[in-house]
Amino acid sequence: MDSDDNRNWDWDSSNCRAQLDEVFFRRHDYIQAGSPEHREFWAFFDRFQSFKMKRDMSGLATSRDEMSREDRRRKISSETVDLGLPKEYDARYRINLSVCTRDVEERLGVSKHASRHRSSGPGNQEISDCRVALLHFLDFTQRQSFIKLAKLRRDQKNLPIFQYRDKIVDLIRLHPVVVVAGDTGCGKSTQVPQYLLSAGFSHIACTQPRRIACISLAKRVSFESLNQFGSKVGHQIRFETTRTKATKLLFLTEGLLLRQIQHDRTLAQYQVVIVDEVHERHLHCDFLLGVLRTLVAERPDLRLILMSATINIKLFSDYFRSAPVLQVPGRLFPIQVTYQPIPPEEQASRSEKMDPRPYLRILQGIDQRYPPEERGDLLIFLSGLAEISTIQEACQIYATHTRRWIVLPLHSTLSLAQQDKVFDISPTGVRKCIISTNIAETSVTIDGVRFVVDSGKVKEMSFDPKAKMQRLQEFWISRASSEQRKGRAGRTGPGVCYRLYAESDYDAFAPYPVPEIHRVSLDSLILQMKSMDLGDPLSFVFIDPPPAASIQTAITYLKEQGALDRRGELTSIGSLLAQLPVDVVIGKMLVLGSLFNLVESVLTVAAALSVQSPFLRSSQHNPDCATARQSLHSNQGDPFTLLNTFNAWVEIKGERGGGSRKWCRRRGLEEQRLYEMVNLRRQFKDLLKDHGLLESNFSTSSDGDRGQRRERLTERKKLHQMKRDHEQHESTKRKVLKMNEGQDEFSSGSDTEKTGRGKKDKKGSGSNVDIQEVKFKLRHNMSELQDAVSVSQDLSSRQQALLKLLLCRGLYPQMALPDEHNTSRKDSDQVFHTKNKQGVVMHPTSVFATDPEVLLVPEEESRDTEANKRESSRHQLLAFVTLLETNRPYLTNCVRVPALQTLLLVANTIDSNADCTRLVVDGWLELELRNPEEALKVLSSALTLRAEWERLLLAQLDHNTSRGESTQGVSRKTTEKLSEGLVRYLMYTEVIYSLRRITALQMQNLYIGPQTESGLSNLKSPGLGSLSPGTEAKPDPIKGGLQVTSFFTYNCLADSRDLYSECLRTFWACPNCDLYMPLTPLERMQHETSCRPAGEQQQEAEPESGQKSSSGMSSLSRVYHCDICNKDLTLTSTEILKHKRQHMYSANN
Amino acid sequence: TSSHVQSDAFNIFSCQLCDLRSPYSYYGQKPPNTRAIVLLEECFVTKDPFSPDREKFLILGSECSLCRKRVCVGSDCSLFYTKRFCMECVNKHLNQFPHQIQAELAKKKPPRDPKSVQR
Ligand SMILES: [Zn+2]
Ligand SMILES: [Zn+2]
Repeated sequence: MDSDDNRNWDWDSSNCRAQLDEVFFRRHDYIQAGSPEHREFWAFFDRFQSFKMKRDMSGLATSRDEMSREDRRRKISSETVDLGLPKEYDARYRINLSVCTRDVEERLGVSKHASRHRSSGPGNQEISDCRVALLHFLDFTQRQSFIKLAKLRRDQKNLPIFQYRDKIVDLIRLHPVVVVAGDTGCGKSTQVPQYLLSAGFSHIACTQPRRIACISLAKRVSFESLNQFGSKVGHQIRFETTRTKATKLLFLTEGLLLRQIQHDRTLAQYQVVIVDEVHERHLHCDFLLGVLRTLVAERPDLRLILMSATINIKLFSDYFRSAPVLQVPGRLFPIQVTYQPIPPEEQASRSEKMDPRPYLRILQGIDQRYPPEERGDLLIFLSGLAEISTIQEACQIYATHTRRWIVLPLHSTLSLAQQDKVFDISPTGVRKCIISTNIAETSVTIDGVRFVVDSGKVKEMSFDPKAKMQRLQEFWISRASSEQRKGRAGRTGPGVCYRLYAESDYDAFAPYPVPEIHRVSLDSLILQMKSMDLGDPLSFVFIDPPPAASIQTAITYLKEQGALDRRGELTSIGSLLAQLPVDVVIGKMLVLGSLFNLVESVLTVAAALSVQSPFLRSSQHNPDCATARQSLHSNQGDPFTLLNTFNAWVEIKGERGGGSRKWCRRRGLEEQRLYEMVNLRRQFKDLLKDHGLLESNFSTSSDGDRGQRRERLTERKKLHQMKRDHEQHESTKRKVLKMNEGQDEFSSGSDTEKTGRGKKDKKGSGSNVDIQEVKFKLRHNMSELQDAVSVSQDLSSRQQALLKLLLCRGLYPQMALPDEHNTSRKDSDQVFHTKNKQGVVMHPTSVFATDPEVLLVPEEESRDTEANKRESSRHQLLAFVTLLETNRPYLTNCVRVPALQTLLLVANTIDSNADCTRLVVDGWLELELRNPEEALKVLSSALTLRAEWERLLLAQLDHNTSRGESTQGVSRKTTEKLSEGLVRYLMYTEVIYSLRRITALQMQNLYIGPQTESGLSNLKSPGLGSLSPGTEAKPDPIKGGLQVTSFFTYNCLADSRDLYSECLRTFWACPNCDLYMPLTPLERMQHETSCRPAGEQQQEAEPESGQKSSSGMSSLSRVYHCDICNKDLTLTSTEILKHKRQHMYSANN
Repeated sequence: TSSHVQSDAFNIFSCQLCDLRSPYSYYGQKPPNTRAIVLLEECFVTKDPFSPDREKFLILGSECSLCRKRVCVGSDCSLFYTKRFCMECVNKHLNQFPHQIQAELAKKKPPRDPKSVQR
């Protein structure tokens, strides 16, 4: 060792370290300079040096070593084997690696001489020190990874299911269908897929009812199967997938697997399908099982595994021809059950708030019986949000007083940050009191719960097919749910379950919850069945068939929506809707929107209506939030408010990026929902492009100069790194809760704002990145999004009118009529009626709940003629997204529209009297127009517009189905003309009319009914026929009158004065041609739809003339047999009229 | 059991003492992409599953230099001191090991015994 060198060498100098990097951490070395491991090494090096220093100073090592050597030498002599171990102990002997750097050292000329010359280079000693440290570092990292691996394997072995491993694999090899039943904690969801993987199966699909479970399971299983950084295990959900060609095991939602079956009917892409949590009996799951049941027969090589809790196992086994069942015991600690029925005086009646006393007694009891140092949290199951806030309030007062509890609510409408708090840890001596809906029964698992309080109640959404209404009702839970709730107390140790009902109640509970298929509307299901060609839905073999009536309701609804034709076959729009993973109503909006130049707005609205509202309920009564939100509100309706909100948010994101979080908080918005909206919107757009409904002509992000592109690329790289970093550190953050946590909701608005902001800012400045922002930037092209938004911002009143019409046509028949007496009612008492349900009210979150005046017919413009008959040109209707009954029936997500115009443009049936002054729409709304002249005009314009709209829509859909061929889509010009026409009709139609519901009594005598042959002869006269060429108007067999189009029946309304009025002709001059003659109303309409202004006629007629020559007949002219001349004439409708007129005049004369 | 035979077909390393099982991708002293690093014994090696870096390796185990048992590198199963020794062999020849190792093992033993009885 050279003392000179030592003096010049400084281990702390970065320069010196860099020289060693040249030896050990070169570009191609195992550890490279600049990598995270490299940084870790030097940190390790410092620790290692100081450890060595301490040991050397204690100086004990050598003397003991001498002794032991003596010892050993003595003993070896008496043994048979000499292990040949070195005489002197050195920790290096315990490392099974070495690092050879001789070549580099030589090249660098590391030697005493060289280093002396340069006086700063590393000498042999430094090299050797560094090498020893590196060896120890490598050994240390090896050890660390191995400990992780060993722990992982140990944990796997300790799961109850582990001992069934071989049995499960054997069963699956032998049988096409196997049922694995095991309770919570047995490990089936994570382990069974892994057993299959290691037994050599690949192409495994494992379905989950919840998206979040797909993500977390894929993450867990890829970690456990040592593929954390590969793609052997992946997930696929609505917005994202990690699936690659290398993926052998895929976690996906039930709905998604069903969609895959639509394209890959035999699921050829999979060898094994695992359907997990079948006992939850979700709609999609029940349906999936039905589809798989037939598939198993077709594909003997397919393996199907059903995984279930130990609930009703026989049902599943029987459904699959007595499939073998493997039952695995769960791992639950003993739970003591106490029945504490609520005394009558504390039971709430329907209208009252809940009495919190039974719950407070339990908190008190726990405080008395269990010392605070014995940890264990409390989980209370309540039925709904109102109940939670009542009990939360009472418990919070108790908690503030005793300082032994932190009260936290848990339900799906909370912000995610608030939901996440239930996983945080309480300070010692303090318990969490989590007050939850049934979300904590299966979806959310919280460890450390020792006490469970079960109210025995649940609120469930059910569908009332008669009123076409969603209903949120409170029910007793089932015994299965009750057991599930109890089980939550015994996951981490023995627990206690307090049941707030009697044991006799428990015994009277239904054994299982009602499966979803029996509770919900089956529209989407039936549509999907139709598109999968599964035959008659009524004869499909479901595991537990839904009532025939509810299938029938769905079919009727789909017919009303135009997704099925009269015979129940899919229409072209129907088959498209079946492929869109959204509600029929939303899907329809998208398709309609794609036709017009309003796609961007429709995309946003459709996305907004498909996710939970971003407006947080808790901020509803916060005056500051209300003020900040004001500018977002639109009194056109809630979808417009959502549109404004989304647009404003995108704008803020463009300006301040992550600052949008603060912007949202100030307005009481849950940003997560906006992220969902932007993702969904993107998915909708892609779907429309995939189906040829949207041109993908956008000159993608590749524009911009090279510099910009490089910049974007670097940014993306950075973002990806941030995402990876976040994912690696994600699991390690569990915060300790503060005592005042969960109290935010009660503090006044401005306080919440301030404390909230302070907390988050601290978080933001640290290492905690806003991962949502990062993902957002990775997924979306900001400038493209801003473009899209700027198009839909500040819509002109014309665009607004058109957008409303599109929404309406999508939502129809979901329309509500304001009650005629609303003018004299208080704001909060405004009443509305739908076709099937009377007396519904506005949901308090709706913009019309705060601003109902805009719905009233302006007083000065209306006048009452008779009782209940107010005439005006400004009647309005509401289109709504859902009718939801909780304690009252509520309309949600409403938009207001001009009544007459909208009805005539979108209604399914329109019936008229002879002069069309009286119209009945869909058998529930009656419109009476004062002026027959106006009535005819407004009706015939509607018929013309609708015919054109339908034609373009079909052309668009046909274009999409026969893509690749030379068929031309609808030209921009034609759609612009149509939208111009629609807008003009919506905005400038000024007719005075009255609007009211038809009473039951009126309904009985509404129609003329079928007519005798002689009565019909007059109507049947040719030329008066169809408005859409090719279909003849024919008498309606039930209502009477003439079916003019699929939706319009002329002169079928029984009405004292019009029996003969259809024969009454009045002189009329056509504004477009020189026709001037007396016509009946129908004749006039007929002429109007076929006679276009001169300029228009020219270009429209041209393509038709080509057809004429080939078919020998214009579609406008037809063979007409004149009885008087007794001749067959080829005439256009107008010519026929003229011809007939001649005879009339001559007869009269 | 029969599954042991199967394991070999899939290149599965399994420890004959604790039955830890894991697939391995390399057996020998010079795993791929390790550059200057050389192993001092023939090892069962896999890619380090806990590192995002594809080139990082993890040694699972090797053969006991005395009895030729396949053992994992876990401290309950084996020990490396210039050579690999399974714990059975270490205990048999404990006195030939330096006192540092003896002391270490003695320290580890007492708390382990009652635990294993419990299981
Ligand atoms: Zn072992
Ligand atoms: Zn051995």
